[in-house]
Amino acid sequence: MSIKNPKGEGDATKSYFIGFFLSLLFTAVPYYLVTSKTVSGTALLATIVSIAVIQMAIQVFFFLHLGRGPKPLYNVVFFAGTVGLILVVVIGSIFIMNNLHYNMAPADVTTKLAQDESIAQVSGTSTGACQEVYKNYQVIFTDGKMSPHSINAHLCDTLTFVNKDSSAHIVVFGTYPQDASYSGEADLNVNKSVPQTITLNQLGSYQFYDQLDRQTTGDFTVSP
Amino acid sequence: MVEHSELIHEEAATERAMFGFWVYLMTDLLMFAVLFAVYAVLHDNTLNGPTGKDLFSLPLALSETLILLTSSFTSGIGIVAAREGNKKQVFTWFGLTFLLGLAFLGLELKEFTEFIHAGHTISSNAFFSSFFALVGTHGLHIISGLLWMGITLYYVSKRGLTKSMVRKLTLLSLFWHFLDIVWIFIFTIVYLRAFV
Repeated sequence: MSIKNPKGEGDATKSYFIGFFLSLLFTAVPYYLVTSKTVSGTALLATIVSIAVIQMAIQVFFFLHLGRGPKPLYNVVFFAGTVGLILVVVIGSIFIMNNLHYNMAPADVTTKLAQDESIAQVSGTSTGACQEVYKNYQVIFTDGKMSPHSINAHLCDTLTFVNKDSSAHIVVFGTYPQDASYSGEADLNVNKSVPQTITLNQLGSYQFYDQLDRQTTGDFTVSP
Repeated sequence: MVEHSELIHEEAATERAMFGFWVYLMTDLLMFAVLFAVYAVLHDNTLNGPTGKDLFSLPLALSETLILLTSSFTSGIGIVAAREGNKKQVFTWFGLTFLLGLAFLGLELKEFTEFIHAGHTISSNAFFSSFFALVGTHGLHIISGLLWMGITLYYVSKRGLTKSMVRKLTLLSLFWHFLDIVWIFIFTIVYLRAFV
């Protein structure tokens, strides 16, 4: 690792110059490839990663002088072991997470589950459950008051919260401080110009309150 | 005879220090590998926010790369000067390394502040969490390297280029080369990859 005789210093300087020049080259090439778009996609990615690995090898050899001193073998072995571990960690993580992503909740399974649970929408896409529009109920905020306080609806009806106040209202399901959720929604931010509608796809009685004015509460019952 | 045995002792001490430091560098490299793996897995999870392609500036990343590469080179030339016992050149080359390191840090902080002012913080989404963790950890290493360099150069100015100071400078330049090697992968995996 260390070169000590006077002749060796000249060699070391030369080695730094060679390493520097090659590193500049192997920095410019991938930069050019990416900006010029002569190659694209996986091929380009594979190329730039390979060039990075080559540049690492260049710097390890010409800057760190690994494998060039008189007794450097244990350092080389340690380095090789570390590179092996890194490959396992990095490639393993990417492989496992991609596989998990691929196998987790395919679209058709999600839709089937959603239909079984009468969930109307998954990530903005209709599942086919509650497709027919039944009755729409409205809860209107005016002058800090809310009406009606109580609603009796049937499954697949819709409930819309409308804000006619200048101030904001946040509808939270449950009773303070025991928050609950309805149909996957914990709260609805009801702004002045943006009414919020939910599909009543869960049976039972539910309560809600205004987070900004907890005295304002209401409830709704969904029957089959 | 005495001189000869001292030389052997000195060389054995250097060998030991080198190996110990090498073991540290390799474990540090493993930590970076984990941060790289996290970034590789999470870099698409932007919560519909802007991606790396929308935000990164390739010329900036290239400047950072060239600055750090040059500083790695100057620290190597500085070591050659240290072994030759040329104190003046040691200060020239390591001083240059220090300034280049500061310039690199400045560019990185500029980029980070721009992101944060635009509302993209470490808690914005998984992409930014992994980005700031990976690049920020490298930046923290650069800061420690600069502190270390400052302190070592101060002691070189006080005590001269003793055997032990040359050894410390050698370890420091090893550390600096190592940070450059890690940066090659940040440049490739984080910045270039965003535009593939």
